[in-house]
Amino acid sequence: MIKVSNLRKVYQSNGKQVEALKSIDLEIEKGEIFGIIGFSGAGKSSLVRCLNLLEKPTEGSIIIAGQEMTKISAKELRQARRKIGMIFQHFNLLFSRTVFHNVAFPLEIAGVPQKEIKERVLELLRLVGLEDKAEAFPAQLSGGQKQRVGIARALANNPQVLLCDEATSALDPQTTKSILGLLADINQKLNLTIVLITHEMQVIKEICDRVAVLEDGRIIEQGSMVDIFTGPQTSTAKDFVSSVFSQEVPVEIRERQFTLGGKRSGRKLVRIIFVGESASQPVISEIVKNFSVDANIISGNIEHLKDKPFGNLLLEIAGDNGSTEKAIAYLESLGLGIEVIENGR
Amino acid sequence: MVDSLIPNLIQASGETFYMVALSTLFSVLIGLPLGVILVVTDRKHILENLILNQTLGWIVNALRSAPFIILLVAITPVTRLLVGTTVGTTASIVPLTIAAAPFFARLVEASLKEVEWGIIESGLSMGAGPWHIISKILIPEAVPSLVLAVTNVIVNLIGYSAMAGAIGGGGLGDLAIRYGYYRFEPEVMLATVVILIGAVQIFQSLGDWTAKKLNKK
Repeated sequence: MIKVSNLRKVYQSNGKQVEALKSIDLEIEKGEIFGIIGFSGAGKSSLVRCLNLLEKPTEGSIIIAGQEMTKISAKELRQARRKIGMIFQHFNLLFSRTVFHNVAFPLEIAGVPQKEIKERVLELLRLVGLEDKAEAFPAQLSGGQKQRVGIARALANNPQVLLCDEATSALDPQTTKSILGLLADINQKLNLTIVLITHEMQVIKEICDRVAVLEDGRIIEQGSMVDIFTGPQTSTAKDFVSSVFSQEVPVEIRERQFTLGGKRSGRKLVRIIFVGESASQPVISEIVKNFSVDANIISGNIEHLKDKPFGNLLLEIAGDNGSTEKAIAYLESLGLGIEVIENGR
Repeated sequence: MVDSLIPNLIQASGETFYMVALSTLFSVLIGLPLGVILVVTDRKHILENLILNQTLGWIVNALRSAPFIILLVAITPVTRLLVGTTVGTTASIVPLTIAAAPFFARLVEASLKEVEWGIIESGLSMGAGPWHIISKILIPEAVPSLVLAVTNVIVNLIGYSAMAGAIGGGGLGDLAIRYGYYRFEPEVMLATVVILIGAVQIFQSLGDWTAKKLNKK
């Protein structure tokens, strides 16, 4: 649906050149929700704005729905933009227009007849759950409602792609959840491709299928959302993951003396990560029975990555004559993510 | 004079109203497009054209830097060309417009710059062209502030029109100078000042009220 190759963006400021994007390559499939995460200044905003040419790329190619965006005329670009919806962090609604007329705006400029506009706007307002606010002005709405108007407006011309520029960053956590729910819903109903940029890992975790991590104008890591969460490679990705799931183990636990099972040795502190199906296997009782180790659960939690359960268990294991090692090898053989945090003797 | 004070004041007020009304109309007709051009041709705006922008800016500044009383005299050839004469209320509309239009253009520029770039960007993202951005976003979003700008122009023109009167333009200024000053009839002077103050107060309040009504922010 979207193919970006060798995209570069250089800004000129006071005679100095700032390279905001350095050779970006991306491919986004039809119907997926693709997240781009990065700290501020990483180049996220530039990247998303290059996709619909709000920023003109310095170099490279952007193909959306088979159209090379960097090579089309101004008129063709306006046509193409009608099929690429966009929503913004600060909503950017027209203050002088009612909710109804805000949603009608893209239809007006596309030259849709008045009667059709009315039907379409009411349909869109129903879709985002704001049919009772048609005559309200944006200033009378809450942040979440404003973003719903933004979404209705972005969907007016039946776009194939929806770009979300930090669409939930100005919203409280609860409203963020409901807006993300709406986006996921639209993605399902309309098979809409969604590109979402954010600095919040929570947003990625909630709805994305795939993720790219952007740092200093480059994509440093990219993969399925579950892979990024369960096995982040770069330190930036690790930071983002731990912003959602704290991976810190308190020092008292790391360093405390072995107390498990009396005199037994070979204590290890192990983190086990379960994803999807494996979250429902009785692995702890299996290792205790089969390897006669002792196991003490220090902490555990279960979350959802989009719709997959994702478990995280911190376990203290101890046993004689290398049985601990065997138990760990067994756990690994089940395809669980294992991280040995403390390797005692 | 005292007997004819009231009819004189009514006639002079009518002349002032005529001058202010028409010169406001022409100032808006000329100043609004000028203000729009000053904004949209600026750096990084939707129709960036720095040469046009700077040339226009220079002309606007030049016209605004001439004191009105000088402008009034300096442009008499233009006035004669346009209305065939250089005296009378109709003739004074030319210098009044030339003085107020660039002023209004700058006020329009300031008003339109208040419209957040994000809103313009959202219009662009929906496929709006320059004309749609101007007519459906920039101007409608700035309406409350534009109403205040027009109010400002009216108040200024009421003052200017009194000066135009002084060189034969008619109106309240003319009356005040001829009767109040040259003939030393202070009650005429006082009456014109009271009318001018009243007019300014009324237009300003009306402008403030309308702008507030229209503001949906």
